Amino acid sequence: MDRRAGGGETIMATSEVVHAHAGPQGFIRKYIFSLDHKVIGIQYFFLALTAVWVGMFLSLLMRIHLIWPQVNLPIVGHIQPETYLSLLTMHGTIMVFFVLTTAPQGGFGNYFLPIQIGAPDMAFPVLNMLSFWTTFVAFVVMLAAFFVTGGAPLHGWTGYPPLSAVQSTGPGEGLGADLWITSIAIFCAASLMGALNFITTTLDLRAKGMTLMRMPLTVWSWFITAILGLLAFGVLLSAGILLLMDRNLGTSFFVPVIVVNGQLMGHKGGSPLLWQHLFWFFGHPEVYIAILPGMGVTSQILSTFARKPIFGYRAMVYAMLGIGFLGFMVWGHHMFMSGMSPYSAFAFSLLTMAIGVPSAIKTFNWLGTLYKGRIRFYTPMLFAVGFVSLFVSGGLSGPFLAQPTLDIPLHDTYFVVGHFHLIMGVAAIFGIFAATYYWFPKMFGRMMNEGLGKAHFWLTFIGTYAIFMPMHYLGMAGHPRRYSQLTEVAYLHNLIPLQTFMTYAAFITIGAQFIFVINLFWSMLKGPKAADNPWDATTVEWTTATPPPHDNFGGQTPVIHNGPYEYGVPGAARDFVMQTDPAVGAAH
Amino acid sequence: MHDVSAVHGESKGTYLWVWGALLLLTAVEVVLAYKQVLQPVRMLEVLLVLSVVKAGLITMYFMHLKSEIPRMRWLLTISVTGCFALMWIFFFRDADRILTLGVK
Amino acid sequence: MATVQHAVHDTHGAFEPSLFGTYSKKVGMWLFLASDSLTFGALLFAYSYGRISNPAWPTPFGKESIANATIMTACLLSSSLTMVLAVMAANRGDKPWVRNWLLATMFFGAAFTVLHAQEWTRLIADKMTPSGNPWSAVPLFGGTFFTLTGMHMLHVTIGVIYLGVIALRKKFLPVLLVLWALGFFLTPADSVFHYGIHVLLVGAVISAIVLFLKPKDYDANDVEVSGLYWHFVDLVWMFIFPLVYLMSTKV
Repeated sequence: MDRRAGGGETIMATSEVVHAHAGPQGFIRKYIFSLDHKVIGIQYFFLALTAVWVGMFLSLLMRIHLIWPQVNLPIVGHIQPETYLSLLTMHGTIMVFFVLTTAPQGGFGNYFLPIQIGAPDMAFPVLNMLSFWTTFVAFVVMLAAFFVTGGAPLHGWTGYPPLSAVQSTGPGEGLGADLWITSIAIFCAASLMGALNFITTTLDLRAKGMTLMRMPLTVWSWFITAILGLLAFGVLLSAGILLLMDRNLGTSFFVPVIVVNGQLMGHKGGSPLLWQHLFWFFGHPEVYIAILPGMGVTSQILSTFARKPIFGYRAMVYAMLGIGFLGFMVWGHHMFMSGMSPYSAFAFSLLTMAIGVPSAIKTFNWLGTLYKGRIRFYTPMLFAVGFVSLFVSGGLSGPFLAQPTLDIPLHDTYFVVGHFHLIMGVAAIFGIFAATYYWFPKMFGRMMNEGLGKAHFWLTFIGTYAIFMPMHYLGMAGHPRRYSQLTEVAYLHNLIPLQTFMTYAAFITIGAQFIFVINLFWSMLKGPKAADNPWDATTVEWTTATPPPHDNFGGQTPVIHNGPYEYGVPGAARDFVMQTDPAVGAAH
Repeated sequence: MHDVSAVHGESKGTYLWVWGALLLLTAVEVVLAYKQVLQPVRMLEVLLVLSVVKAGLITMYFMHLKSEIPRMRWLLTISVTGCFALMWIFFFRDADRILTLGVK
Repeated sequence: MATVQHAVHDTHGAFEPSLFGTYSKKVGMWLFLASDSLTFGALLFAYSYGRISNPAWPTPFGKESIANATIMTACLLSSSLTMVLAVMAANRGDKPWVRNWLLATMFFGAAFTVLHAQEWTRLIADKMTPSGNPWSAVPLFGGTFFTLTGMHMLHVTIGVIYLGVIALRKKFLPVLLVLWALGFFLTPADSVFHYGIHVLLVGAVISAIVLFLKPKDYDANDVEVSGLYWHFVDLVWMFIFPLVYLMSTKV
């Protein structure tokens, strides 16, 4: 942050000549309630960084508890089975909402979408600021659930009723669960503000020449993600309101006649299945909200570091649109075991399989981009290749789970946990890491350390595979998820050695993240100064100063002449042609 | 383009006409419901069709969607109605099943 | 949503033409409405889902309730007419008539809310609650009714405040505070609206923040965008009215 201050002031001094918007003075307007999309992007980034450490700490506690159930931890004490459920609920919720949704879209999308399309800022800067601070409030409310009577809720990040809809079902289902739902409702509002801002900006503020088919794939991915968010979060908001009513006003939307702890509740006539439908109508697009920006970043980085145009740009765009479109029609594949109509299950199964087609198009195009490339293996490239690897290994278990017949034995086992952690968790996180290493020079004006970056990559890459691959075997052995006590059941007891291995792998992986944080903050303060275009990249953010001035381009608006990935163009002076360079050759 | 004084091609007369049509359709709905002329399910269908017509009149004339460019008109309409169509197809099937399966 | 300020960028020349062929604020409002229609849509689907799976759904609305709801519908439809006339006046640059038509719209909107609040009060007096009702053993009847109409009433109230800010700017704040005080002291202490009226206070605070931090003369675009919101609220009622009221008419 300090670096930006220095850089920002010098640029502002020069930009006054060309009648740029002067940046706000004063600490509060500049860093706290800033309207500058770049500052807001960095705020989102640090919010997600905080959240990811909280989420990771919770997962560490779970892993420790699984193999040493009797251990008495400092501060936390002895973990009860209820506490274990609270830990997994909060781990899932914090990771999905405040890391995977917040960092790629709110953080990098906010910072780079306007710059990459040549806009001075978002279409609605005030709304943008409100969106961040609303997210922040949601995060604080979420964390507050830990500290109220009864602690955090037990119902998992999916919040299935009746567990989540009746106050007396468990210790965390009192005020803790109310705070959890309230936080999610607030987060919905924040995401709506963000999404409509992203869409309007992309529709209205593209610089001259930035036609749709010249937009970088990152911009496409943020744009499509915003559309998914706009349509999905509105439904979750409703579901959250109804759940709050069920809990506090005695309505019965999601609760049938039910006996809790030997006591007949007053509810009648509701259906838990309705919550599952509403939740997953949001929840499945949410998966793509998490992963699509990673796909965009990976495409951008693979092309840049293989020094080749992206293979099949249009196919990539249509594949992302196809994934977004199909993503709305497959929510039922989370519900094969819910008592949903088997006819629906059949349709959902087919549609889910169909998503394999655009996903495969993307994978083959990434491989096509790498083929015969002059690859430069800098850290961002390593993480981008790692993304492709995780996307494939996590994705391949998808077609198994997409079939109701196979899903019946695999449902709610560690197989599912392994599947979604690889593809939605770790792959998306690799997208975030790739984006961090790639754009850090532009955001903070300095380079990150390559050696530490590579160490971070290899430890994380091997570590995450070592954690999540064995989960598939556990799942096939029939190990249910969300069990906190493994010692009492014979066949689970026999699987403890594998669990132990995973816990040690988790220690190493979490340890590797310290390398990342040290690298991040050390480079922010002491890293070597970055040039304006350290990666020889072509997109518009690399044409402006590092870090960019308050209005991004010093009072001017760039004019775009080329596609986003013009590498190795025959006859050009350099091996790359920037989007703002005079038009060269035929468009791809 | 950014000038709102761009005329929407409609006059006070059109708006009054639309307003009258909306009131008339409401009256038809009330009479249908109150006289119970149709079976409940059939009545629901008729009422919903009338409501969709009313919603169409409001969006097209009052909200001027008619004078927006086709891209905006169709993208907005299709994305929202598409989501509703999906919910329609998959939600009610299960609501029906509650009546025929399991404990009531 | 009613209070969000939008920055206006110079979009002439340096940028590609907007893909939606219109100004950003209108696009933003349409996108918000798309999302909000899914919020309402999900509520209506939850209602329909409960209704289908509970065949013993009560049908308690007699002549009086239906007449009342029909008048409310007429109020909203008429408010839409006055709103669109306000937009027309704004396009002509006729400021006095913009204000007059907006005030008429607010009047109809407020009338709708008052009529609806009376309806709620009657139903609550008849022992209808979110968790039960005297007419049947289907508790969802009360729950869905209060959720759907309550959410809609909230939208109407926000809309009236939004239009008031556009029409009267800072002069609207004292009006709003007087309405809040009147509502608070005139409703009995055990009424739900004794607390619900605080929405006006919250609205006044947010309006004050907007009006003092970003004072501006609202132009024809602002009127049109507020109109979009208002018509949408009307549109939602076109679905709630038949589904909640007409489908529960007493035979």
